[in-house]
Amino acid sequence: MKRCFILILAAALCLSGCGKQEKEASAQIFAMDTVMEIAAFGPQAEKAVSETESQIQELEKQLSRTLPDSDVSRINRNSTTPTTGIAAGTWALLEAALEYGDATDGAFDITIAPVMDAWGFTGDSFRVPEQAELDALLRRVGSGEIQMQAESTESVALGEGQAIDLGGIAKGYTSDLVEQTFRANGVESGKISLGGNVFVLGTKPDGSDWRVGIKDPQNEEALAVILPLRDAYAITSGGYERYFEENGKTYHHIIDPATGYPADSGLLSVTVVAKANGPDASGAGNGAMCDAFSTALFVMGEEKALDFWRTSGYDFDLVLVTADGRVVVTAGLADRFEEVKDSGYTYETVS
Amino acid sequence: MKRSPELKPNFWDGIVVLAVIALAAAAALTVWQSRPESGTLMVVVSADGQEIDRFAPADLENEPRTYAHNGYTLTVTAEGGGLRVAEADCPTQDCVHTGTITHSGQSIVCLPARIVIQLTGGQPDGDAVDIVIG
Repeated sequence: MKRCFILILAAALCLSGCGKQEKEASAQIFAMDTVMEIAAFGPQAEKAVSETESQIQELEKQLSRTLPDSDVSRINRNSTTPTTGIAAGTWALLEAALEYGDATDGAFDITIAPVMDAWGFTGDSFRVPEQAELDALLRRVGSGEIQMQAESTESVALGEGQAIDLGGIAKGYTSDLVEQTFRANGVESGKISLGGNVFVLGTKPDGSDWRVGIKDPQNEEALAVILPLRDAYAITSGGYERYFEENGKTYHHIIDPATGYPADSGLLSVTVVAKANGPDASGAGNGAMCDAFSTALFVMGEEKALDFWRTSGYDFDLVLVTADGRVVVTAGLADRFEEVKDSGYTYETVS
Repeated sequence: MKRSPELKPNFWDGIVVLAVIALAAAAALTVWQSRPESGTLMVVVSADGQEIDRFAPADLENEPRTYAHNGYTLTVTAEGGGLRVAEADCPTQDCVHTGTITHSGQSIVCLPARIVIQLTGGQPDGDAVDIVIG
């Protein structure tokens, strides 16, 4: 009898151990002008990934600037006439975009869209606009002009001559929704990478942290720093991601809403890191925040970005790669970041 | 002092010990075989999320490989122990600008062609990462 008990116990232990080797499901999706990689581990991993794929396709239908029936296209077409029938997700994202625009004093601004168009970054027909053209377009930039009416029927109206593009925040918001979908399906370990945006849920299946490498902006083949992360968002903006050259000069895609020109702030890349939203969250969360702030803080430059980190009241950390060869890491990441050997960078932590 | 005969291992105790050892070995083997990062470094090419080619990086040294999808064509060649997109007829040329990739986890993406070239597997090293951002 005792022998049988020992055998049953041993078998149960082995089987429960095997249960930890959870099912993996993954997918690669082209959406929102980037390629997205999803991986989830857990008994319902396949369902989680499949739901995530549908969710991303649905979001793109609402947020795209090129699909004529998307909420964003309708808002742009209707311009100063209020647009109704807006999806709850678009509404939540617009609210978040306006909040982060205010918080960053306009360094993040979704009404920069016509200026981006003038540079050709929307359709890949790159050109350097004349100053007079930029001046005229810049007069229309300012998300303070957007009217969001929540009473009776929700509606959104733009200021005269304005157009919006949610591309600077939509991918972060997508990762917020993916976190919820993963959690709803019992996924305890997973990752999603949407271009420069990453969300990692839990740890890797072996219990160790996810190792997230931040590209060296000056060398596509190398990394500048490594961050071991769990339950976190990490979103990078850098001028090297999208650019063109004309007459020997490089023009990148992160436009400073104050000048209309590519931001020239002494930073090569900005990575914003924040905690996962947790099981009770809904709508736009830290993913959207990291996305908006990575762009805004790139525009601000090192000094203002660090001031913002210290005083804004938002809970996040930063990795700044500077043009003069430094990697600046804020206090919350000081005990976890890993230097990359022979990267040529000097590493500093700030508090 | 008289020793209790119950404590003396007999044939059936031996069988139980062997069975437990066999179960442990089987479980260890299952875990070891399912490690995703084991094996050699491989290049995986996918178009629209579907894998279309898989090969060892060394295979490129004999002959470059060309892929066409979504109306665009790109050519992958060996370079500096890794590989790169040497030529593409896409409008953005982001895939060509990416340069050479050499480590597991790195990838080259051509958005217009909807092609992703990824390095996977290989022996982990100190700087190995799960995800590259930026």
